[in-house]
Amino acid sequence: MTTKTSLLKVILLGDGGVGKSSIMNRYVTNKFDAHLFHTIGVEFLNKDLEVDGHQVTLQIWDTAGQERFRSLRTPFYRGSDCCLLTFSVDDNQSFLNLGNWKKEFIYYADVKEPEKFPFVVLGNKLDVTERQVSTEEAQQWCKENGDYPYYETSAKDSTNVAIAFEEAVRRVLAMDERTDHLIPTDTVKLHRKPRSAATCCS
Amino acid sequence: MAEETVQKVIYEHEGVFIHSSSDDDGIEQDLLVSGSLRIVDRDGEIIVEYRPLEDTVDPSNMLCAGKDSSSVMEWAQSPGDRSQQLLETQQSYETEWDMINAVSFKKRPCSNGEGSLNHTQERSRWAFTFSVCDLRSLTVKEEGWTFLLFKLKESSTSLPALHFHQGGSREFLDSLRKFALLSESPEDITCLLVSTPNKALSQSFENLLDDNNFGLVHKFRKDPYVTTLGSFSKVTNYIFDAFRGTEEQHQRPPEEVADLLGEVIPGLEINQQEEPGFEVITRIDLGTRPQVTRREPLSAEYWIKHQDAEGRMIRIPHLKQTIFKGGLCHAIRKEAWKFLLGYFPWNSTLEERKALQRNKTDEYFRMKLQWKSLSEEQEKRNSRLRDYRSLIEKDVNRTDRTNRFYEGIDNPSLVLLHDILMTYCMYDFDLGYVQGMSDLLSPILFVMENEVDAFWCFVSFMDQMHQNFEEPMQGVKTQLIQLSTLLRLLDLAFWNYLESQDSGYLYFCFRWLLIRFKRELSFQDVLRLWEVMWTGLPCQNFHLLICCAILDSEKQKIMEENYGFNEILKHINELSMKLDVEEILQKAEGICLQVRGCKDLPAPVSNILGFPTEVFISDLTESGPKSGPGPGPRPQQLQDACSSVQEHLRESSSHNGCKVAFIS
Ligand SMILES: Nc1nc2c(ncn2[C@@H]2O[C@H](COP(=O)(O)OP(=O)(O)OP(=O)(O)O)[C@@H](O)[C@H]2O)c(=O)[nH]1
Ligand SMILES: [Mg+2]
Repeated sequence: MTTKTSLLKVILLGDGGVGKSSIMNRYVTNKFDAHLFHTIGVEFLNKDLEVDGHQVTLQIWDTAGQERFRSLRTPFYRGSDCCLLTFSVDDNQSFLNLGNWKKEFIYYADVKEPEKFPFVVLGNKLDVTERQVSTEEAQQWCKENGDYPYYETSAKDSTNVAIAFEEAVRRVLAMDERTDHLIPTDTVKLHRKPRSAATCCS
Repeated sequence: MAEETVQKVIYEHEGVFIHSSSDDDGIEQDLLVSGSLRIVDRDGEIIVEYRPLEDTVDPSNMLCAGKDSSSVMEWAQSPGDRSQQLLETQQSYETEWDMINAVSFKKRPCSNGEGSLNHTQERSRWAFTFSVCDLRSLTVKEEGWTFLLFKLKESSTSLPALHFHQGGSREFLDSLRKFALLSESPEDITCLLVSTPNKALSQSFENLLDDNNFGLVHKFRKDPYVTTLGSFSKVTNYIFDAFRGTEEQHQRPPEEVADLLGEVIPGLEINQQEEPGFEVITRIDLGTRPQVTRREPLSAEYWIKHQDAEGRMIRIPHLKQTIFKGGLCHAIRKEAWKFLLGYFPWNSTLEERKALQRNKTDEYFRMKLQWKSLSEEQEKRNSRLRDYRSLIEKDVNRTDRTNRFYEGIDNPSLVLLHDILMTYCMYDFDLGYVQGMSDLLSPILFVMENEVDAFWCFVSFMDQMHQNFEEPMQGVKTQLIQLSTLLRLLDLAFWNYLESQDSGYLYFCFRWLLIRFKRELSFQDVLRLWEVMWTGLPCQNFHLLICCAILDSEKQKIMEENYGFNEILKHINELSMKLDVEEILQKAEGICLQVRGCKDLPAPVSNILGFPTEVFISDLTESGPKSGPGPGPRPQQLQDACSSVQEHLRESSSHNGCKVAFIS
């Protein structure tokens, strides 16, 4: 529990075509390929980075967004340390679906404390001019849903992509520290009538 | 248990607690028992021991859950237990708690003198010990600290949970891993199955088969920490080493250790000793794999020579065989594919085909008009069509865009791709558009260079592939099961390795199967592979043997490098565009001939590949005779074949029970 792990699993979720694979590829290979195939099945890439002095290997999972493939992607949710809920600022429907993605994730990832789970919200395709979702709307949603950090990204011109992943890592590390800190408190709570081993055995 | 024997302490940790409530007397009293936990090697037997602190152990009072002493132990489970309620108030949202809740436990001999137990008795009754080989599973729970629940094979009840308030659980598990393979249960992420790889797979299959709202591979995945941090590979290494050791001691006949597909993996041996408690797996001797050669593609001249005066194709079996062996040269594809896909009947005359095309053209444009003529207003009220359209638009922009045929922004081919897919939604509105379909259409349109012909050829191809895209994804699931069955029976060593890495259900082949290797091969190679497969030769489900052929080429690397779940997935994903189609086809045909030549082929294999199955091997599948002897199953009999495979798997899952096959 208290042992720090350097491997963090993050998963990109969001409607088909919002740019999950593009974001992942931009971040890991620093390339944008407009001719990328849509994703079939599940893929992941690793990326090493350092955040606030912590050496971290990010394992970034990317899945297909279409409803039909749900049963094939959800098994991979388990064990995620962070979930990047992604929509595209030029696609209002993808924004409206954020709540469903969050629900699907919590349900299948079997998150113990959904209120505390670190989600990060990405509004991708910042570079396009025809926006359908305003920054304010998106920020509002994030605020109401658990005060999630919100980043407007562009996989195409690379805006905010690295920053968003680093924030994700920070959130996870912060979670870990908090849990570590809580251990003694919890222990006491559980034993309403705490007895030390010595008392018991005398 | 207290007698002096040669023993080595492998792990020892104090400050391990049992939470209990001594509710025997009705007085609700939480009891916290502190003690020490040890793993000891006692004359080669690995024992886990828990002793309460200050335990003046009365050996007769110690619980021994040895192989044949399960009767000694009797834990009484009381669901209404206090400690459980206590925990529940902490964890009320946590359903898993129902399963793992701390149980109060009593040892039968102690059930006398309720409420009058003195402290020594009270404490010593918590002591327990068991042999690691009797351990079925371990459940690891975190609640600020870690606690473990043990489940023994011979007993349906649990030992008391051990709470590691002072750390040490990780070390405990690590120590245990030196002696047992701990693999995560497909049912429960927190549950580690001890040395029972086969069981885990059969459960996976049950998940596959009894798929309901949770979906296919629910709970299939591997804990990334376990896999990626390498503890798993450490275990496998350990086992490999162990078997290398055994190998030196017992030299087994070469055919026993030889890989079923004819390739021996250096340094890997299978434990096939018929030890009690080890599953004995039937092995079939497939003999050597015949060398096959590929031939030249069928030329246009050759094709034309096989038409009679009125344009009927003649010597069709020969023609198909030639296509199977070498494919088609590109010039003739446009024509030949229409036959291969069934758009044109082989025995039709040129005139008949012209008439057919006229009718089909009308029919196509009628359907196309249906979506073309929808007003924006109408479409606003048709959310399904709108969703299909939006998906199609997105995917058309992401299908084979580096191919010259689909290159650039205003490429008219993109419009055709889009229109055909939209029209297909009208043709089959129930299915509509599902991702992956654009991949299937793209090569066909590329070859046809004609909207109507491409559409109808696509319709024919979709007839074959339809199940892959239907809602519960049954097509792919069935194929994964079939593939796993084939692999298990044809290449047990590799299958077992995959299984030990929780990959026995072959999830990583999903993309191969969904879109028939479209993303795995170069565009030109896809054309070749597909035309070969469309001949229907040399056996039913040949594409599954293609999977076997690819896996056969990769297994050495996968096993030598000790790939875990994630790495296998990554490795397979990254094969994309690195495969050689002729090599694969050659190998797959070789496997087919090899298997066909085998006399005692298990019925499931024959069923899947459509070989005649006069002889049923009843000990492999009791359901064998149900699917009936007779001619090899044709498509309509496929369902039978599948269900017999499924029953076979169920069968073996129930047989496996506690038996362990330690392999690879
Ligand atoms: N302008 C612009 N286009 C983008 C950006 N990110 C992705 N795209 C394009 O949007 C389309 C979809 O991107 P993908 O990365 O394939 O989307 P996805 O979320 O992975 O989609 P699925 O795999 O179908 O679930 C592609 O054509 C990308 O080129 C971006 O930041 N700006
Ligand atoms: Mg993608």
